[in-house]
Amino acid sequence: MQSWRRKSLWLALSASWLLVLLRVFPLLRLAVPTRPWAGAPQGWPRWLDAELLPHFSQPGELPKDDLQPPRGPRGGSCDWGSCFDVSKCRGGRLKVFVQPVAGPISDAHRGILASIESSRYHSVSPDEACLLLGLEAPAGECSPVPPQWNGGRNHLVLSLHPAFCPQTFQLGQAMVAKAGPTVDTFRPGFDVALPLLPEAHPLRGGAPGQLGQHSPHPGVPLLALAEERGGWRTAGADSSACPWDGRCEQDRGPEQTHPGATLPNATFCLIPGHGPDALHFLQALQAGCIPVLLSPRWELPFSEVIDWTKAAIVADERLLFQVLTALQEMPPTRVLALRQQTQFLWDAYFSSVEKVIHTTLEIIQDRIFGASAHPSLLWNSPPGALLALPTFSTSPLDFPFYHLQRGSRPTGRFSALIWVGDPGQPPLNLIQAVAGSQHCAQILVLWSSEKPPPLRWPKTAVPLTVLAGQRKASDRFLPHTAISTDAILSLDAHSSLTTSEVDFAFVVWQSFPERMVGFLTWSHFWDEARGGWGYTAERANEFSMVLTSAAFYHRYYHTLLTHSLPEALRTLADEAPTCADILMNFLVAAVTKLPPIKVPYGRQHLEARPPLTPGGPESQPPAQDCINQMAAEFGSMPLVSSRLRLDPVLFKDPVSVLRKKYRSLEKP
Amino acid sequence: MASVAWSSTRWHSCSGTMEWEEEAACVIMCASVKYNIRGPALIPRMKTKHRIYYVTLFSIVLLGLIATGMFQFWPHSIESSSDWNVEKRSVRDVPVVRLPADSPIPERGDLSCRMHTCFDVYRCGFNPKNKIKVYIYSLKKYVDDSGVPVSNTISREYNELLTAISDSDYYTDDINRACLFVPSIDVLNQNTLRIKETAQALAQLSRWDRGTNHLLFNMLPGGPPDYNTALDVPRDSPRRYFLLSSQMAVHPEYREDLEALQAKHGESVLVLDKCTNLSEGVLSVHKRCREHQVFDYPQVLQEAIFCVVLRGARLGQAVLSDVLRAGCVPVVIADSYILPFSEVLDWKRASVVVPEEKMSDVYGILQSIPQRQIEEMQRQARWFWEAYFQSIKAIALATLQIISDRIYPYAALSYEEWNDPPTVKWSSVSNPLFLPLIPPQSQGFTAIVLTYDRVESLFRVITEVSKVPSLSKLLVVWNNQNKNPPEDSLWPKIRVPLKVVRTAENKLSNRFFPYDEIETEAVLAIDDDIIMLTSDELQFGYEVWREFPDRLVGYPGRLHLWDHEMNKWKYESEWTNEVSMVLTGAAFYHKYFNYLYTYKMPGDIKNWVDAHMNCEDIAMNFLVANVTGKAVIKVTPRKKFKCPECTAIDGLSLDQTHMVERSECINKFASVFGTMPLKVVEHRADPVLYKDDFPEKLKSFPNIGSL
Repeated sequence: MQSWRRKSLWLALSASWLLVLLRVFPLLRLAVPTRPWAGAPQGWPRWLDAELLPHFSQPGELPKDDLQPPRGPRGGSCDWGSCFDVSKCRGGRLKVFVQPVAGPISDAHRGILASIESSRYHSVSPDEACLLLGLEAPAGECSPVPPQWNGGRNHLVLSLHPAFCPQTFQLGQAMVAKAGPTVDTFRPGFDVALPLLPEAHPLRGGAPGQLGQHSPHPGVPLLALAEERGGWRTAGADSSACPWDGRCEQDRGPEQTHPGATLPNATFCLIPGHGPDALHFLQALQAGCIPVLLSPRWELPFSEVIDWTKAAIVADERLLFQVLTALQEMPPTRVLALRQQTQFLWDAYFSSVEKVIHTTLEIIQDRIFGASAHPSLLWNSPPGALLALPTFSTSPLDFPFYHLQRGSRPTGRFSALIWVGDPGQPPLNLIQAVAGSQHCAQILVLWSSEKPPPLRWPKTAVPLTVLAGQRKASDRFLPHTAISTDAILSLDAHSSLTTSEVDFAFVVWQSFPERMVGFLTWSHFWDEARGGWGYTAERANEFSMVLTSAAFYHRYYHTLLTHSLPEALRTLADEAPTCADILMNFLVAAVTKLPPIKVPYGRQHLEARPPLTPGGPESQPPAQDCINQMAAEFGSMPLVSSRLRLDPVLFKDPVSVLRKKYRSLEKP
Repeated sequence: MASVAWSSTRWHSCSGTMEWEEEAACVIMCASVKYNIRGPALIPRMKTKHRIYYVTLFSIVLLGLIATGMFQFWPHSIESSSDWNVEKRSVRDVPVVRLPADSPIPERGDLSCRMHTCFDVYRCGFNPKNKIKVYIYSLKKYVDDSGVPVSNTISREYNELLTAISDSDYYTDDINRACLFVPSIDVLNQNTLRIKETAQALAQLSRWDRGTNHLLFNMLPGGPPDYNTALDVPRDSPRRYFLLSSQMAVHPEYREDLEALQAKHGESVLVLDKCTNLSEGVLSVHKRCREHQVFDYPQVLQEAIFCVVLRGARLGQAVLSDVLRAGCVPVVIADSYILPFSEVLDWKRASVVVPEEKMSDVYGILQSIPQRQIEEMQRQARWFWEAYFQSIKAIALATLQIISDRIYPYAALSYEEWNDPPTVKWSSVSNPLFLPLIPPQSQGFTAIVLTYDRVESLFRVITEVSKVPSLSKLLVVWNNQNKNPPEDSLWPKIRVPLKVVRTAENKLSNRFFPYDEIETEAVLAIDDDIIMLTSDELQFGYEVWREFPDRLVGYPGRLHLWDHEMNKWKYESEWTNEVSMVLTGAAFYHKYFNYLYTYKMPGDIKNWVDAHMNCEDIAMNFLVANVTGKAVIKVTPRKKFKCPECTAIDGLSLDQTHMVERSECINKFASVFGTMPLKVVEHRADPVLYKDDFPEKLKSFPNIGSL
């Protein structure tokens, strides 16, 4: 009994030991690393002697090759450093001389010439110019070797249309600005890729982008496909799985074929990468249809400066189905951003021949500028590089447009710029009112009268400087170096403002630094009877201009007006003082695409007539006309109407006046 | 497991419930109880002896149990740690591959290769993460016919690089799923390579196929990076030299040019050269000389504002990375040199490129750069170094990211993501509606009325809103699950389509859902008790929204204030001179913000709002201000609104709790957003002729502000 029990106990004991050992042993075996388990993810090994490995090169190890002489092998290819003589551009300024063409020239050609002549780069003498521009004859007539060819050095051969004439002379060191150049012949950083323009592309102004709204309309099909014949075929979101001709016969139902001229109405536009489809690209851009380029064989227009990843998708045609899936799944945020960028780019660089040419020259100017060229941000966000001059500043913070992107604010003070014309009465009350503002940094008096300025000026809390003007209306818009703040309060001697009004208007301007904030307004209208534009100073329910006799705006607009506008426009402003106001409003509206802002103004009797024109606009036909001349020069009517006025939050509310910050605005 | 089951059934039979930890002690007690029952005769002799047996037996079983249990749980953690699945061996043990002298040599690289001609994208199929998959060949040692190694097996840097790839999201160990292949043959340094044999070694890789989809890393020949901590601290002290050249192997013609610069501009230009008279044991690579003056390299780079990177034996220069690290702005004088990662990095922001022909003018060119731009460039140069060149890992990952972006262009990183330093990224706002665009008036707006059961009031709101000329559709969000909406025939007859959406749950966020029924860009959110807004006021509100489509345009305005006593934010609904929020009980906004509210609201704000049944409007104000960086627009004068603050029956106390709740919301949201995005403004929008001395009947919006 006892032995049986003992035996059974031993048995149990050994059995449990056995079990324990059986369980534990394989685990113990694993604890000793031998080799990795099959199937487990296998990374790059952690070498035991990783710390002992030799470095890839020894300290002080020098290249074995011989020292190369300066200026490496050049071969047939040119680059900016070796084939363009920058020293010819005096002061780093690009000056362009257009090579005269023998024989008759076409209208398009004449238009191009005119747009170059109106640009700030034009030069009348080939000796002064550092870029000689040769225009390709669009008719295919091949020009002989131009004079002063010099191997093509410092030449730009501009060819807007794809019928590139077979070269009778070697292009050599000449830069080629060509529509849709093939990737293989394009010399990056030297040649300029142009967009392929349709025959009837407008010379100036140009049609605005077609996008009327930010987000895609819900009913709009997802895809439009560029067709061989030049038209577009739209496909619904569902049929996108079979996008290409021939492969999806059964899905023809919801699709529609559009004739060549119409713009595609879809969210994405699929464009095959072969040559002729470059035309589709521009159509899609204008329509706000996001271009999806499938392995384009041509260089994208202005690819040197434009970041196309923000407006288009360049995908591999071999991964078509993958691309389509990605398009369907693209988050709305991205679609929204891409769509808006297409419209911005279209409007800034492509909508007219003039813009294309100016952009080309601006790119070359940027190369000459080197370090002081446009930063990428200026090229790729509104209002675009043609309207943001690097000569003003290379730092985006100095412009009124980029504060949001850079997380900054405009400076918190303003400079009052008082223009004193005849009869030369020092605006003492106005100076006191303006100097009383806590935001005022300085007062500048621009003395433009025949009478000499008085020697003594009233004592003010802020510095007062008298500048001598040249007695021209456009004087007041010169970029005076004395202006030290971002904001300018532009005033006339006979303007009358209270400190409260100035304070409130400046606080509003800080929220809208890119716009004009003014007190007195005009509005423009289309005059059917005269078949032209007109404007009125009468009070109305909407307005589109504010008078510069009392307005806040950013000092950048002085530089822009002086340096970017054609001479003709500035002369126009000098002839009739009212035109100066219209010109400034045109310019700001063309840049911002937004209306100016009106703030409340106490003395309403003054609103009845514009202070700058003694007889009122009706009695001044030239002024009425200057709005039309300007519209012609700008190529379109940039003014935008607004129906609102910004008032202080408690303006005329039924609460105690003591609660109100701007209580003097309430006085009748 | 068998042993566990056996022992537990056996011993558990004697006792009821017991804690696992106390089992051992308890079992012993049970055993003794058992024998006590068996009979007195046996017990005195057997007791102690058998108890020992049993105790021993049981403890062994228990030990086994514990050991088993522990090994059951341990190995999981061991498996996941990399030490277990990765070989621990030496580089010297890798298999040797003998390359016959006549093994094929791959063709020369095709210079005309483009992504779409030479890269096989079919290997990179659809990938939900939009990241390429990279395979690394296993390490082998290649020797030629006579047994002489072709190259160093692997350098420390290349090992680091491969480790970085292997640890990244790009790595795959499945050669069939890979889209990019990285050979483990180290070609970092061209100087130590035996070109022909290395080419042969590459050619015999299993997926070589003329190099398709293979990535080779070839670094600049130069000093290995030494991570000198003293150097990694940027200095704020003014830099002594304006321009510095530190390269040693410079062509004499260039050196002449440099010397001429130094002669002309004196102290501000420093041109250094190799030291000729160094004492033994001093590494010449860490010293530079100017005549007899000795400088420490690369520390001397910190003393200069601009540093020259000149064409040397090869175009690329190791000096570039030294210069970047020192926060010196590189002046690149090497025509046709393609700067590293120039496909994505905007070098114009961090360097100055000067054509070789203009070398003599370099001083003047640099002088013309404004001071602020120089500082910006210095910051940018350091940021490039820190983000993309600091370590082998950074270089490897940037390379793979670029290739990945080429293959999945629709998911590529943007210019800003590559180039903006973190400080800019934090403070910058990219407005999703950045295009200055005034939407056409013809489009109209969709009114969304959120309602629960106030049918009478709802019908009045519908009737009032339907009088607004630009209304294009009316959407009623029926938030009451217990009650059906009234029958069709009972609804007011209006001129625009009216749709009723029934919700699944009574949640406040239903108001901001991006319903498919919304076809216009403009949305008017309106409560079912806002009957006091006139048609003129609503139409004017829509006109204002058209001029500010990226903002919230609303009627009652509110303000947030910093409470200095409590040190937190406070909600304010008094008559103030400022506004920072508008209530969404009556507000116009872009429908895109519905999408953002529903799908992109940060943190748990959405659930928090639904749980508290409050503050959805404050959340919307935060969201829009944060994403656009802009303030709200309050329209038209203040009216007495039937708003939550005003409905309090027992005036003050309820009002108080409401304000406290709203203040809490602001504090909660500010902490979730990590900042206070709301912008305070002092203006509101009125019609141009509001309260002007002008005939009322000629005004477009005469009926504004009437009570």
